[in-house]
Amino acid sequence: MTRFILAEFAEPEAMVEAARKLREAGRSGLDAYSPYPVHGIEEALKLPRSKVPLVALIAGVSGAIGGYVLQWWTNAVDFEINVANRPPPAWPTNIPITFESGVLVCVLTLFFGSLFYFFGLPRTYHPVFEAEEFRSASLDRFWISAPLKDGEGPEELQRKLRELGAERVKQVEEAQ
Amino acid sequence: MAVSVAARIEARRALEPLPLLEGEQDDGTINKTLFDYIWRKTGKGWLILFLMGLGGTGLLTFAVVLTVAKGIGMWGNNIPVAWAFGIINFVWWIGIGHAGTLISAILLLFQQKWRTSINRFAEAMTLFAVMQAALFPVLHTGRPWFAIYWLFPYPSTLRIWPQFKSPLMWDVFAVSTYFITSLLFWYLGLIPDLAALRDSSTSRWQRRIYGIFSFGSARHWQHYKIAYLLLAGLATPLVLSVHTIVSYDFAVSIVPGWHETIFPPYFVAGAVFSGFAMVMTLMVPARRFMRLKHVITARHLEAMCKIMLVTSLIVGYGYVMEHFLSWYSGNKYDFYQYANRRGIWYDGFPSAGRDPYIPVFWLMVTCNVVVPSIFWFRWPRRNVYVMWIASVLINVGMWCERFVIVVISLHRDFLPSAWANYRPTWVDLSLLFGTICFFGTLFLLFLRFIPAVAVQEVKELRHELHKEHAQHEIPEFSQEALAITELEAGETET
Repeated sequence: MTRFILAEFAEPEAMVEAARKLREAGRSGLDAYSPYPVHGIEEALKLPRSKVPLVALIAGVSGAIGGYVLQWWTNAVDFEINVANRPPPAWPTNIPITFESGVLVCVLTLFFGSLFYFFGLPRTYHPVFEAEEFRSASLDRFWISAPLKDGEGPEELQRKLRELGAERVKQVEEAQ
Repeated sequence: MAVSVAARIEARRALEPLPLLEGEQDDGTINKTLFDYIWRKTGKGWLILFLMGLGGTGLLTFAVVLTVAKGIGMWGNNIPVAWAFGIINFVWWIGIGHAGTLISAILLLFQQKWRTSINRFAEAMTLFAVMQAALFPVLHTGRPWFAIYWLFPYPSTLRIWPQFKSPLMWDVFAVSTYFITSLLFWYLGLIPDLAALRDSSTSRWQRRIYGIFSFGSARHWQHYKIAYLLLAGLATPLVLSVHTIVSYDFAVSIVPGWHETIFPPYFVAGAVFSGFAMVMTLMVPARRFMRLKHVITARHLEAMCKIMLVTSLIVGYGYVMEHFLSWYSGNKYDFYQYANRRGIWYDGFPSAGRDPYIPVFWLMVTCNVVVPSIFWFRWPRRNVYVMWIASVLINVGMWCERFVIVVISLHRDFLPSAWANYRPTWVDLSLLFGTICFFGTLFLLFLRFIPAVAVQEVKELRHELHKEHAQHEIPEFSQEALAITELEAGETET
């Protein structure tokens, strides 16, 4: 059973600063929540570089290759169609669909990959939602969550967050 | 000292940009004003418009059923004008869609701040316009239930595949990719706002409904930002490719008036032009009745007027070039085609009598080149009534452009023995009118149930602007800075 301390900040800069201080003090498992992307939070939390661009590149290139091979195989190998006596694999006429299928596969991968893998969609529940006040995280407030270590008391961390400028501090537990 | 400052302010006011957000806003007031109308009771005006839209959609359904049951003979198409309203409306609607992608993707890449309040709106317009567009070619196949076998490569027992050297096949792939990309891009942008709607709702069932469509937005922002940017980067070449491919439907053929290398850029510019006009037509009333004037300000409207002016100039250049090349090429079929369109002949070339569609050509020139040139002046760019009327006229003009390209080119091709005039039937007209109503109905539903302004992005923008004020990056005498100084001055005096 994991316990979390949640702290609410009014301004994004205060939250970024608090996140940086906590990480520098050696606390792990930190996370931040905000109604819009906050500048500098990746660096403050030392998040690893996103793999989204790599995934997109691989998907786009394989989509384009797949699109080209599809046209070449269907029109020039499996069932040859003679159009105005052009050579069956007339590659310039295949470029538009090659481009379109590259984009299509890339977009589908980006979207569904982001939802299911990067945003972790199957898990629609997170212990932070236990706190009713946390609703403001998508509206106008900025939150930090920090997990407590086993056997650690909450008071010290709560005091530290207040010192860093938190307006409200809450403790939540992962429901069983 | 005070006098000179006031005089300088007065002198500079004209030069500085108008504010992007009006009044003193914070995240709370933005949430309140932009989510408020979703929780309000349905208004009477909305209901009346919605019922009218549903009526028109009923007419559309009737016309579609009739077309499918009795066949394409219900349309006015003939030989040689085998492509008529079906393709005109297809190109018109898909062109309208292009402004949405331009605003949401291209302006994002160019970091234009005025994109923020209007992108959601324009993207929704794109989706609904592409839906209307897709109806026409599918119906034009005559037996839409077979179309999927003809259009998509699937291993059938006939062992035959689609013919991929045809621009019509390119179109299938381009339009379906475009629709899917626009839908996903729009939805990805919507996710944080749906989460905010869930969290600002009061009743349990509302929370559940919006909760289904949204996800807890958390440290996913990092991936989210990159995914959104990459989608924008993909949508940008995609939107150019879509209308380029639509123009290939014509340009790859050898019909005089279609066989032109200028078509791709000229079609793309025309698409953006008509799309911006449609955004304007929808936005001017919506911002008034939904009380969005503080986020969709005169600055946004003025920027859109300027884009319309630029694209109208590109389109006008396209017209001039077409007519010039018809003479310069020395091809007599081409020359005849364009002289016949404009109804003005040169010495030594026999006139074959007046063409019945000459007024459509001149209406196109008036609406697309003459009307937008009022935006060279400032007052039409600041007067919502003038710009609204201009935007409606531009939509009419762009429809005429497609009529000119499709019908006039086809009805006077190579051999006089093949010539015939075209007249739309009431089914053609009902389909056009019906799609406009269906589009309006979808748009009304969007305005009613989904945040029409990207709230999350407006909050981010407000924060950025605020920081700029703090760092004095905003020019001293811009109106954004002035609003604050005036406010502070008022406070100290009282």
